[in-house]
Amino acid sequence: MARAVTNRRKLVFTLVAWTLALLIFFPILWTVLTSFKSEADAIASPPKFLFFDWTLENYTTVQERSDYARHFWNSVVISLGSTFLGLLIATPAAWSMAFVPGKRTRDLLMWMLSTKMMPAVGVLVPIYLICRDLGLLDSRTALVVILTLINLPIIVWMLYSYFKEIPGEILEAARMDGASLRSEILYVLAPMAVPGIASTLLLNIILAWNEAFWTLALTAAKAAPLTAFIASYSSPEGLFYAKLSAASTMAIAPILVMGWFSQKQLVRGLTFGAVK
Amino acid sequence: MRPRRQIATGTIALLPVWAVVVVAYLGTIAWTVLISFTGSRTLPVYDFVGFAQYERLFGTSRWIVSIGNIATFGVLFIGCCLIIGFLLAVALDQKVRAEGALRTIYLYPYSMSFIVTGLVWQWIMNPELGLQRSLRDAGFESFTFDWAVNRDMAIYAVAVAGIWQASGLVMAILLAGLRGIDQDLWKATKVDGIPTWRVYLSIVLPLLKPMIVTAVVLLSVAVVKAYDLVVALTRGGPGIASEVPAKFVMDNLFERSNIGLATAASTVMLVTVLTALVPWLYAEYFRGAKGHG
Repeated sequence: MARAVTNRRKLVFTLVAWTLALLIFFPILWTVLTSFKSEADAIASPPKFLFFDWTLENYTTVQERSDYARHFWNSVVISLGSTFLGLLIATPAAWSMAFVPGKRTRDLLMWMLSTKMMPAVGVLVPIYLICRDLGLLDSRTALVVILTLINLPIIVWMLYSYFKEIPGEILEAARMDGASLRSEILYVLAPMAVPGIASTLLLNIILAWNEAFWTLALTAAKAAPLTAFIASYSSPEGLFYAKLSAASTMAIAPILVMGWFSQKQLVRGLTFGAVK
Repeated sequence: MRPRRQIATGTIALLPVWAVVVVAYLGTIAWTVLISFTGSRTLPVYDFVGFAQYERLFGTSRWIVSIGNIATFGVLFIGCCLIIGFLLAVALDQKVRAEGALRTIYLYPYSMSFIVTGLVWQWIMNPELGLQRSLRDAGFESFTFDWAVNRDMAIYAVAVAGIWQASGLVMAILLAGLRGIDQDLWKATKVDGIPTWRVYLSIVLPLLKPMIVTAVVLLSVAVVKAYDLVVALTRGGPGIASEVPAKFVMDNLFERSNIGLATAASTVMLVTVLTALVPWLYAEYFRGAKGHG
């Protein structure tokens, strides 16, 4: 904003903004801190903030008791698998919508976007039945396919919004110079599309990583990713609070790190392209 | 003019996505609606019973509570997220230092799953462990904050956690809107001696309308999906105090073997969302059709 902002005013707002940030971040910080406490310290009164015996025992216990590594691996496989499968289907479609728009392009986009707004429970029963009949309950395959379908509208939409920003004239020019469709895509389009594809990839990994509705519905023990695992660990009485924190910390750590190093993409992705 | 081959390639590239839309989305929705008119219990059977499941549904007190809860949650969640998100955006728009970092921190809760959000807040809202005990220990003996375990307040507890999670999203969207506002506006209003709060309220807010609509759409989607947050935070309790429709469907499918009732509830949700969605889609579609093809 070009409005003159005095230095004192700026300082005040900076302080306010950081205080708010601390408040907002506090629950996350607290969970991370608690994960390093013993169970006794975790529920100590008054709460211990930084001065307690730091320990890693929660992490080892969580791994030993419930094979945390396997759930972590499930999360990795499911989120990466569904992301790549989704990109595979969506990239040609988004390319086509952005550069060879047909009469029905807008229809298709609206259709896809509106399905994203429909409640997931609306299709839960049929999908559950299909998985049961195919013997795919509690399998990573089923989750990869379903999360791909669920997030496909967003992938298409995001890619489309990125591809739209690529000037069509460059493609025209390449075509004029006699480039084939293949080399047009490979040498002209691809280098410009990579940043967009990368942020779509990031967004979709986060969405798939966080997905809880479908993972809770369709997995039991074998294929359960972290979200389902953590949910099973929770108890309303606050038992094993430190261990639960350790499990949660390991679940959110990748996202916190990825988010920090790709702030812009995170913002654009999470607002589904509304913020550029 | 485009070469015909290109158009053909374009169409082929779209086929998988069309297939997904028709088969996976529309097909499963149709199937849900179909089952809801049958007497299915553990397995889907196709003995059509008309609207019997719907009559049963609206005679179930748990469903009625769920609908009330989702309405309360939705209004509070969307309203508070908009207000807090707007204030955060205005605060960030004052040329504060390290804005990029702040933006990321404000958005962090939204990048975490509802499950983690629920668990984190479960601790804060636990009267024996969290905020209530901390403040009582600090000398405020009569301080009470037991929403998560209080029958009358449980759904508000869920709303607080949800607001914490999604306010940053509204902030990010509205901040982008604020950045797009013509900077001469501030000079002009200063010359006219209009107080800053008045400018925000009467000029800036109306200018942000498209951004606000986007935010409301995204938040509404989250409301309809509300399931994991409730499961992680209160498990629908105490009793049935914080049940929501999505959880009703899940429980009837998995724990009560009531496929017919579950699909009837799903159908009601689908129809409700569709009713809300159609006018918006219409407006969006025709606005776009007029502008560019």
